[in-house]
Amino acid sequence: ATQAMRVRPPGSHSATKKEKRYSTSCFPLSTNRDLQKLTPLSDVAPAEQEKLFIQKLRQCCVLFDFLSDPLSDLKWKEVKRAALSEMVEYITHNRNVITEPIYPEVVHMFAVNMFRTLPPSSNPTGAEFDPEEDEPTLEAAWPHLQLVYEFFLRFLESPDFQPNVAKKYIDQKFVMQLLDLFDSEDPRERDFLKTTLHRIYGKFLGLRAYIRKQINNIFYKFIYETEHHNGIAELLEILGSIINGFALPLKEEHKIFLLKVLLPLHKVKSLSVYHPQLAYCVVQFLEKDSTLTEPVVMALLKYWPKTHSPKEVMFLNELEEILDVIEPSEFVKVQEPLFRQLAKCVSSPHFQVAERALYYWNNEYIMSLISDNAAKILPIMFPALYRNSKTHWNKTIHGLIYNALKLFMEMNQKLFDDCTQQFRAEKNKEKAKSKEREEAWIRIENLAKSNPQFLVCVPSPARCSPVAMETEAPSIEDLQRAQRTEGPLVSRRSELPQDIYTTQALDSPRRGEDMLTPHDRL
Amino acid sequence: MDAFKLMKELRANYEQEGYYIPKETGLNLIESTEQNGAGISAKCRDAQVEDLWGLSSFFGYSTQTFVLAVNLLDRFLALMRVQPKHLSCVGLSCLHLAAQRSAPDATLSSGHELIRIGQRRFTASDLSRMEKIVAEKLHFTSSAVTPLTFLHLYHQVALGQSPSRKEVLSLEKLEAQLKACLRCMSFSKAKPSVLALALLRHEIKAIQSEDMWEMTCHVQRHLKIADAELQCWAERVARCLSDYASPRCSRPNHKKLLWVVSRRTAQNLQSSSCSVPDLPTIPEGGWDPSQSEDSSEDLSSGEESLSSSLEGEGAYFPLHLRRRR
Repeated sequence: ATQAMRVRPPGSHSATKKEKRYSTSCFPLSTNRDLQKLTPLSDVAPAEQEKLFIQKLRQCCVLFDFLSDPLSDLKWKEVKRAALSEMVEYITHNRNVITEPIYPEVVHMFAVNMFRTLPPSSNPTGAEFDPEEDEPTLEAAWPHLQLVYEFFLRFLESPDFQPNVAKKYIDQKFVMQLLDLFDSEDPRERDFLKTTLHRIYGKFLGLRAYIRKQINNIFYKFIYETEHHNGIAELLEILGSIINGFALPLKEEHKIFLLKVLLPLHKVKSLSVYHPQLAYCVVQFLEKDSTLTEPVVMALLKYWPKTHSPKEVMFLNELEEILDVIEPSEFVKVQEPLFRQLAKCVSSPHFQVAERALYYWNNEYIMSLISDNAAKILPIMFPALYRNSKTHWNKTIHGLIYNALKLFMEMNQKLFDDCTQQFRAEKNKEKAKSKEREEAWIRIENLAKSNPQFLVCVPSPARCSPVAMETEAPSIEDLQRAQRTEGPLVSRRSELPQDIYTTQALDSPRRGEDMLTPHDRL
Repeated sequence: MDAFKLMKELRANYEQEGYYIPKETGLNLIESTEQNGAGISAKCRDAQVEDLWGLSSFFGYSTQTFVLAVNLLDRFLALMRVQPKHLSCVGLSCLHLAAQRSAPDATLSSGHELIRIGQRRFTASDLSRMEKIVAEKLHFTSSAVTPLTFLHLYHQVALGQSPSRKEVLSLEKLEAQLKACLRCMSFSKAKPSVLALALLRHEIKAIQSEDMWEMTCHVQRHLKIADAELQCWAERVARCLSDYASPRCSRPNHKKLLWVVSRRTAQNLQSSSCSVPDLPTIPEGGWDPSQSEDSSEDLSSGEESLSSSLEGEGAYFPLHLRRRR
């Protein structure tokens, strides 16, 4: 099969170039925006560096307008940008420059630049917006924001960083505001947020439970209320690294998280945006504790998409990943409902679904599980495979069905023969049944024919022609009656019994306000 | 068909069957050939027949087609020295020929279909050329006397006057057993009449019907089949069928087959296989309990494997902690 991937050149369509859409959150512009360029840190004696550092940090708390007036304050924007850039280098390459007074300044600078209410989405919602095709709305202030994120990250990752000191400033309120930003439409911002929160989670043990709880809340709101949030994939990625680090035996809290949060996330319409990350989380859980397999697989089968084929393909991807790590003892518990669903997928008229399901047969581990349990599985799969080998429209599927059947044949020939015989027997039974039904109808017909009233009831000699229905067209009598009267045919007004109050009201109309009593007004 | 006619039919076929048995010297040569040798070995032939069985099942061909195809194949291989690389073409030609001449209700697939599904590398014109060669060498026109011919006749004889016995002695089951035997090269040497009788007796013995057994003895006497010969094949049949009936499932080899999928599915498979996360693992309970004193986390969890997480990027893990482990 050819593996050519269609690569879209960024932001270009045939003739008209789609303009990149920008938005900027409502930054309160600082009133005094002129920034004086300060001395470079490298030019100053080590004893003076801390003071200068704080000055530069405070400078960077000045906010500029990038959207409505992009050319404004260019000189001062450059001062801020240069200062940020310099500070990034400064803390990366110098030791012992992160002193205690620095912490509150850094956190404050970050908060001032970042924490804002995100603008409402300018992308269409619902079915019109395709997260994979449509351009996201980007942050206009990115030149500065990027450097602030970069700086804060280096700050967190510095070997001199001490969580014990920082925890006074990086507290629950800070984390909450950080989490709010995950709904940003700018993917670059979300990427930084992801890494930032990941580091914070790692370093601040005291905040971990709080972070998990708030993430849960975001997910609950997403699943049950809004079905809209841009940062689900990033949050799941962080959770993946957390789940990966769970200690055994798994805490009850984590199991509940899997069952009440991760599994229902499969229900949401926009699953395609975050499915790979979600699948990874689920599989990690099962690698940690295989006794969770049965509830997970049963939940997936429960949420199995019935009308959305691309989603079905995603579920099949995830299911195969789960089967790759499943314990044989757990497999036996779920095999019957699982293969019943697979039988349906294999029969799907959507070729991608059928192909993906059939490709399971190319998986060595799954094949070994199946062959160990062939006596239970083959009777379930066989009818779907055999039936479709005759009737499916797609040639590639034909070939794959052959492969699947061939592998079954290799497992146990007698079992295969038995299934074939069973299939034929069922088919014959069906044929016999429908024949019986037809004969019963014919018998009824003959019985009716033998009734002496028969010829009276049937108006037309040809049984097969459609019987004329009564329509609303006037009958012969009506037409004749109408022709006796003068003039063209007029439709008579229906003669309904007249309501006396209606007649009175029509004869002497009154205004509405006069008729309404105070009681009527609510 | 009444009993008299049946016996006459049996007799006629019995006299004919000699023409349709593969040459014994040819079969011996195949059996003595080693695997991966210069010629066709028994294992090669058996593998080819398995393949043909698979294709017959897939396309819904009748047992008649399959049995005839095997017969043609064995006769051709016993007659001509075939190179192993041509074996699959020979096999498919026999199957196609048999399908064309056999029961007309089987939906005939074109040579193209057979080649595509059978994942063969030759073309349709190769196939039709080979078919002509096979038909010519074997003087094949429309049919042959095979074990199946006898099996059908014997079955009718055994049912005798009571067709209700059909429930007990299933022809479908017998056919499946015959196919199982034919997959083994050793049965190609057997006379069709003897093989079919051995099969029937094996089944009748299993269902323990005295009068049907009597019928078979009657047939044996009528056709003058030697006891020793019948006994010899009966033993082999018993062994083959007990293998066939074993519930053991072998692990099939999916790599031998060609897996062709559409471009979309191929893309999907590629992208879903490379979902390696790039955030390093955060172990539960932290890696340095001394870093935070009043944490609300439960630090006394079980084993914490930190070795995997220490392979993370340099900037993330502080140097002084790395040295500690």
